[in-house]
Amino acid sequence: MLRMNVEPDRPLAVTRRRFVQLSVGLAANATRVGAAANFRFALTPVFLDNDAAVIAALRTALEQGMGEGFDLIQRRTYQEITGALLDGSVDAAWTCGYPFVQHRQALTVLAVPTWRGRPRYQSYLIVGADDPAQGLADLSGATHAFSDPDSNSGFLVTASDLARMGTTPEQFFARNLFTFGHRNVVRAVADGLVRSGSVDGYVWETLTEMEPALSARTRVIARSEWLGFPPFVARTDRVVEPGVMACRGALLGLSSTTAGRAALDLLRLDGVAASEPGLYDGITARIAALRQIPAALR
Amino acid sequence: MKVAWFHNLPVTARVHLLVAALMVTLGLVASQGGLAVLGTVQDARLREAARLHVEGLSVALGPFVLRQDLWEVYDLLSRARAATEGNRLLLTVVADAEGRVMAATDPRRAPVDAAIAPFLTKSMEPRAVRMTGDPVLLVVAPVVFQGRKVGQIVTELDVTDLLAERRQVTLWLLLGNAAATMTLAFAGWLAVSRLLHPLGLMVAAMAGRDGVPKPIPVTDIPVGDPGVMRLLATYNAMTTAAHARAEAERRLAERERFVSLGRLSSSLAHEINNPLGGLMNATDTILRFPDRADVVRQSAELVQRGLAHMRDVSRAILDQNRLDRAGQPLRPEDFDDLRLLFEPEASWRGLTLHWRIDAPAAVMVRLPATPVRQVVLNLLLDAAAAARDPGLVALQVTEDAQVLAIAVQDSGPGLGPDDLARLMEAGPVPQGGGVGLRLVHDLVASLHGTLHHDRVDGLTVITVALPVGGGDA
Repeated sequence: MLRMNVEPDRPLAVTRRRFVQLSVGLAANATRVGAAANFRFALTPVFLDNDAAVIAALRTALEQGMGEGFDLIQRRTYQEITGALLDGSVDAAWTCGYPFVQHRQALTVLAVPTWRGRPRYQSYLIVGADDPAQGLADLSGATHAFSDPDSNSGFLVTASDLARMGTTPEQFFARNLFTFGHRNVVRAVADGLVRSGSVDGYVWETLTEMEPALSARTRVIARSEWLGFPPFVARTDRVVEPGVMACRGALLGLSSTTAGRAALDLLRLDGVAASEPGLYDGITARIAALRQIPAALR
Repeated sequence: MKVAWFHNLPVTARVHLLVAALMVTLGLVASQGGLAVLGTVQDARLREAARLHVEGLSVALGPFVLRQDLWEVYDLLSRARAATEGNRLLLTVVADAEGRVMAATDPRRAPVDAAIAPFLTKSMEPRAVRMTGDPVLLVVAPVVFQGRKVGQIVTELDVTDLLAERRQVTLWLLLGNAAATMTLAFAGWLAVSRLLHPLGLMVAAMAGRDGVPKPIPVTDIPVGDPGVMRLLATYNAMTTAAHARAEAERRLAERERFVSLGRLSSSLAHEINNPLGGLMNATDTILRFPDRADVVRQSAELVQRGLAHMRDVSRAILDQNRLDRAGQPLRPEDFDDLRLLFEPEASWRGLTLHWRIDAPAAVMVRLPATPVRQVVLNLLLDAAAAARDPGLVALQVTEDAQVLAIAVQDSGPGLGPDDLARLMEAGPVPQGGGVGLRLVHDLVASLHGTLHHDRVDGLTVITVALPVGGGDA
């Protein structure tokens, strides 16, 4: 747990905050673990907003698919989810490709959602609808919103693009902030709190469908390459456990049940598939690019 | 000086105006009081709203401001705004301890990292919030966390509705109070009219026909207030007394004609008596020499001349007294009559008489004979009495520019102050003395003429100027 909190590429202030959040989250979770033996599945609003209907549908579908008690546990950040996975507080989680790649040694992908026909998505760079910027280079000195420091689309893509330009978010932007939610990034840009934001393309497109008035106040000025969709993961040493295996089966079978179909419709996803080789190579390459940045610039 | 017009108004109008002014003042004071209470209530409402808002937010924002967590500050402000949608909170800005904006409900108006200073001008603390007339008020409060000031929160309050409410209440207060004031003023007018009715009666009676005060009929005197009844009764007594006095003066003036003749009686008696001796001698001569035709004719002619003179004198006396001559025009013969009457008086007193009538008859006829004869005779008699033996009395009648000028001069010592007052002024007649000079004054006034008094080379000159264009003739 402590090892996670002292990552070399995170500012000290962020690390301290995350440590507090993580500690509180784990304490609450420990209580719950002791109280019930249900399967514990973790989610984060970074990716999924706190939509009660979506969460209820997902829970129902997975509970039916697994045929046992099922707890959906929500945490604020990916780091909290990762920490809970690694220390066994939760049995499985829907997290981002970036923390998965960071902890590839310890984690295994159970399944990957498919969106628009494939298990991939893009990261969008957005600005206000009336902003003249045409690309990342035009945003020097701007205020910028990221979603989560462990988000691929909401941080890594932009940070690695900047690394390739030989700079860091702290140097390139006048100020950057984390909103811990892709929808919040869109809000921050649409409302003018920040000039630009890094957002999950899948979330932005879904918002265009669900809340067109919000996304219409933003404009996409850059799209990343197609990268591996946020996967469902479990700790590698536990994938053979019956609960985890049952969870994997329930996930892969979501599109074949009515409840699963309903949940996928609400999420605007096509289905859930097994991972494919090289799906997260793009993210791996971006992590590598980020690590290329000289230590003096970090 | 500016209210001179007010003092020139009748007392009844002034009292009405004063009552109306007092009512309007009362209405204004009442309106002001109502507005002051409304203002106090509105200020209290505003203060409470501002205090709840900024203090509530300040508590919630404390840790986020301390940690410089811009998103959480913004998210909290957004949620607070959504919870108070349609409220009077237009904008809320949160700044850090250095005065830099962290977040605002409208980031475009208050961008991140901008200075908070422009929002602090004209801002007030929550406990000092009050309506200033601006549709938007700014409230500032510190963001305190763990006893330490970590930032500031500024809120724009939209008070357009309160201003509109105040305007509406002001309008209704003014309308209501104006109506009440008008009603009260009308009631006051009625009451004051009733109170002032006796005074109005008296004012109207004082300015009666021809400007002569007349008594108020007893039937018109309101019954009730003993003070008012006594006042009107006293007024009636005074007007009756004044009327009686005016009547007495009129009769006295009427008698003045006889008085002036009386003053001539002695000399006129001599004027008649003197020829009588000659007439007696002539008749004795006729009786003694009835056969001498030349003596009889000579004596008869003498008797005829004497009788003719006596006839002229008696006719002049009769003319002076005849009331039926009223309305007759003035003629040169009237001055001959006056000379006939006055010459014996002057002669008896040993006075030199200068008599010059230079006015044409055509001018004289435009004036009435009776008052002019009375004026000239009175002035001549007073001149004769003043000019001591050996003295001089002169009469000169001229016409110039439609004015008949009658100048009477005498070599006397001049008129005393009392006599001058009688002649020249219209005020009360000084005690003592006759009414002749006052009669001259009144007659000249009735002919729209003027009187001038002068002393020239030891002579007293009194000139009567009578306009012949617009006189009573």
